[in-house]
Amino acid sequence: MTRQRSERTWICLSLAALVAAALAPLVLAPFYVRVGQLVLYSAALGLAWAILGGFAGYWSFGQSAFIGIGAFVGGLAEAELATAPPALQFLVGLAAGSAACAVIAALLAYPVLRLRGIYFAIAMLGVAHVFAELNNNIDIFQGSLGLTFPNIGIAGLDPHVFYYELFLVAAAATLLAAWLIRRSRFGYGLLSIREDEDTARMLGVPTEHYKAAAFVVSAVIAGVLGLIYAHSLGYITTGSVYRDDTNLNAIVYSLLGGMGTLIGPIIGAAILVVLTHVVLGDFLDFHMFATGLLLVLLVLLAPSGLVGLARKLVGRKKVRR
Amino acid sequence: MSDDPILRIEHVTKRFRGLLAINDVSLVVPRGIIASLIGPNGAGKSTLFNLITGYAPVTAGAIFYGERPIAGLATHRIAALGIARAFQIARPFRDLSVADNLRIAGMFGKSGARDVDATARRALDLAGLAELAETPAGAMTVGQLRRLEIARAVATRPELLLADEPCAGLNPTETAELVGILREIRASGVTILLVEHDMAAVMEVSDLVFVLDAGSKIAEGTPAQVTSDPRVVAAYLGTPEPAPAASAGA
Repeated sequence: MTRQRSERTWICLSLAALVAAALAPLVLAPFYVRVGQLVLYSAALGLAWAILGGFAGYWSFGQSAFIGIGAFVGGLAEAELATAPPALQFLVGLAAGSAACAVIAALLAYPVLRLRGIYFAIAMLGVAHVFAELNNNIDIFQGSLGLTFPNIGIAGLDPHVFYYELFLVAAAATLLAAWLIRRSRFGYGLLSIREDEDTARMLGVPTEHYKAAAFVVSAVIAGVLGLIYAHSLGYITTGSVYRDDTNLNAIVYSLLGGMGTLIGPIIGAAILVVLTHVVLGDFLDFHMFATGLLLVLLVLLAPSGLVGLARKLVGRKKVRR
Repeated sequence: MSDDPILRIEHVTKRFRGLLAINDVSLVVPRGIIASLIGPNGAGKSTLFNLITGYAPVTAGAIFYGERPIAGLATHRIAALGIARAFQIARPFRDLSVADNLRIAGMFGKSGARDVDATARRALDLAGLAELAETPAGAMTVGQLRRLEIARAVATRPELLLADEPCAGLNPTETAELVGILREIRASGVTILLVEHDMAAVMEVSDLVFVLDAGSKIAEGTPAQVTSDPRVVAAYLGTPEPAPAASAGA
């Protein structure tokens, strides 16, 4: 009963936050709308990463591989339909990018998900670098030359606002997907894998299938986000999407906010993006140092993230009462 | 005892490179009983559990669950058929609550996704852990963890429960409680194959005892039969120390 009530409260709060976020561009300056885009993009990426990393405990350092595949395969598919309306191009790009991510993730799943812990993380970093190099060096991908993307915005609407709203839809859809997974049999199976994979298998959890499915879902969402990101930029090269800082940040969002939670990556992304782009944005030489220092302090002082810290404080308060 | 065995192990051998861990072992476990597997450390008891659950492949031989051959099946498929295992060292999902540990077991195993909450509640009650339902498993005592381990295996609704040293490290009161839980589980129709070093507990609950030594089965029978078997006495039970002789001149 308590669980159901708490779930209802979270649903109401999430819907209220969604409406507030959708209306925010009405009052935000253009710079902050752009920051909002990055917050939403990063939050969705963090959530996509968390489906495998937070729920199943498989920390990927190579999420950018799928961002890049989604962006470039989608962009190339769109280029084939250059005369079609931009919205149709985008839909075809989404289908092609998602399908490419799904197929490649499914093929990669068997070899890489046999590895655990740091070995899996490093293998995924290698995968991301291999795909970046292929993208840069095989002419058909145009990675070094770059790809342009048409504006798919609505006439009369500021493109920044349009992409902000598009990122909001993507982030909300990702949150919904992560929430549905988290409360499903599949989600509980992933949690059991994170806790103890051998025991999970012994209880009847089809661990190999579940890990592969989580890997594919996470990859497809990253690919979709990559294509939207590419459209919001208008032009990308390999370096725009195959980025090591994105690989790292996807993990940091969960570490900062709360590993394995749904709200954690959102809080983590919001804090890190606002910190690096707004608070420390004027201190270009200093902001990486300050951000790194803050992360080290947070990991030391709140190893379970801000959500974990908040739960601990609330727990202490209840005990005092 | 039933003529319809729940588990048949036929000439099973397991070799780890040069080490012969299980040597041509055959045994039959009838339905509805508590059977125990005893023997000194290194006899191959836990290895045999690993082979039954598919955690390790057999080198030779066959294992039948009912009429179905299960050697070579994936571990999760064997669990789905109705074989559950409780580990020697409790392996709870530490960051999850006790109830979530049991819910996960109820969602998988043989039970599938039917009546997950009811299954979890029954397992909680059986193990006497109802009051700890929302406690993180990582915060429990050794005795509570043992009961959770058994309850979680039961929540998969098995027909055969493999319990690996459930009484190890427990005090006499906790051991008695656990023996009571095992009896209750058997009464609900679950067959139990028990690995245990606590001989008092083994003799108290077992209907049938198998004795392994150095990977081979050296005896089987009722508790009374195996305890009087000279090979078992020599390999495992040992002979009681003779009473000290009265001192000269006393």
